[in-house]
Amino acid sequence: MNEILTQEKSIYLQISEMIENDILRDILLEEERVPSTNELAALYAINPATAAKGINLLVDRNILYKKRGIGMFVASGAKEKIRQHRKEEFHQRYFKAMMEEAHSLGITGEELIRMIQAEEEKK
Amino acid sequence: MENAKGLMPLQCKSVIKKYKEKEVLHDIDLTLEPGKIYGLIGRNGAGKTTLLSILAAQCPATSGAITLGEETVWENQQALSHICFSRELNPVAESAIATMKVKDYLKAASIYYPHWDKEMADRLVKTFELEPGKKILKLSKGMLSMLTIILALASKADYTLLDEPVAGLDVFMRDKFYKLLLEEYDKTGRTFLISTHIIDEASPVFEEVIMLKDGAILLKENTEDLLSRAIHISGREDAVDAAAEGFKIYHPEKIGRSKGITVLMEHGREFPSSNDLSVQPVSLQNLFIALCGDDN
Repeated sequence: MNEILTQEKSIYLQISEMIENDILRDILLEEERVPSTNELAALYAINPATAAKGINLLVDRNILYKKRGIGMFVASGAKEKIRQHRKEEFHQRYFKAMMEEAHSLGITGEELIRMIQAEEEKK
Repeated sequence: MENAKGLMPLQCKSVIKKYKEKEVLHDIDLTLEPGKIYGLIGRNGAGKTTLLSILAAQCPATSGAITLGEETVWENQQALSHICFSRELNPVAESAIATMKVKDYLKAASIYYPHWDKEMADRLVKTFELEPGKKILKLSKGMLSMLTIILALASKADYTLLDEPVAGLDVFMRDKFYKLLLEEYDKTGRTFLISTHIIDEASPVFEEVIMLKDGAILLKENTEDLLSRAIHISGREDAVDAAAEGFKIYHPEKIGRSKGITVLMEHGREFPSSNDLSVQPVSLQNLFIALCGDDN
């Protein structure tokens, strides 16, 4: 929850991604309370309505859930759900962008495959 | 969030303001809903301070009305008890204030504002390390800003208008102010209308932004919604022009064959993507420059 905000993207999306990152990195554990809208607002000096929008995005995807009168909690199974969602996004976000750039530079499919194989072998 | 319960909107209806023959506000219609933090941005001389002082009935409109719910605000003590306008202090010009001490100024405010929170004012004086016995004339620019912030927050008015509260503050104190503001907003749900020239720093705090241009309201919109439809497009001039066909273009800039433009999309409309173009998000400050610059 200590990443910094950038101007590259809507703040509410950044808030929801930060919470996701913290869940993936075990900074926030399942069934644990996440910072409240107002705690997030104070930390980042952002409007609480924006913080709430970011949190609600994760509630809609069943990654967070609300305990009445207590706050927002990480749902069990959230980590797996996020990983699944990121995998689905991977194509659009990284793969397609990479292909476009490769195409504009005239890198062929074969060359790309060789690059991927070479990277894999380093591991 | 706990909003100011049952409170009515503060409205400006067909407000015109003339100073002698010069019309500085043209037919302003504006509704402030309770429980929001609004940002007011505009160039020097756009009419921000005039609008704020008319909203708080500290200066009469030439025509039109300010209402809180059904009631007219002008000379209405009941309605005015819900409104605080903390104006910028300029002790050289306002000599009556200049010789007052900090504590006397706050004492006067405590009499004027019926919901005054003395405990909060005292606490903030300590937080900002202001000397209560110091004369206002002797305060630095930053200290004057702090005093206007203390007045605004401790007034506890449901509608609190601040005119460039961070103008004289260093970056640490500005950060302190945003946090104090959000803390108070969290506790009370009061409505704040804040003018500023330090736009990008404050824009995440504003739920809605109001842009004032040449005495008229250019736009009033949820900040995130506004920014989500503002984009900057750049690339080779012919590619940019072809892609931007049919869109309203702001702030075009050219260097050699390259061209950059700002576009404000309609809601839900997507800009056609292309490998030949860079499409980037725009900050509120850059959008403001695009919309309110001289080239429009």
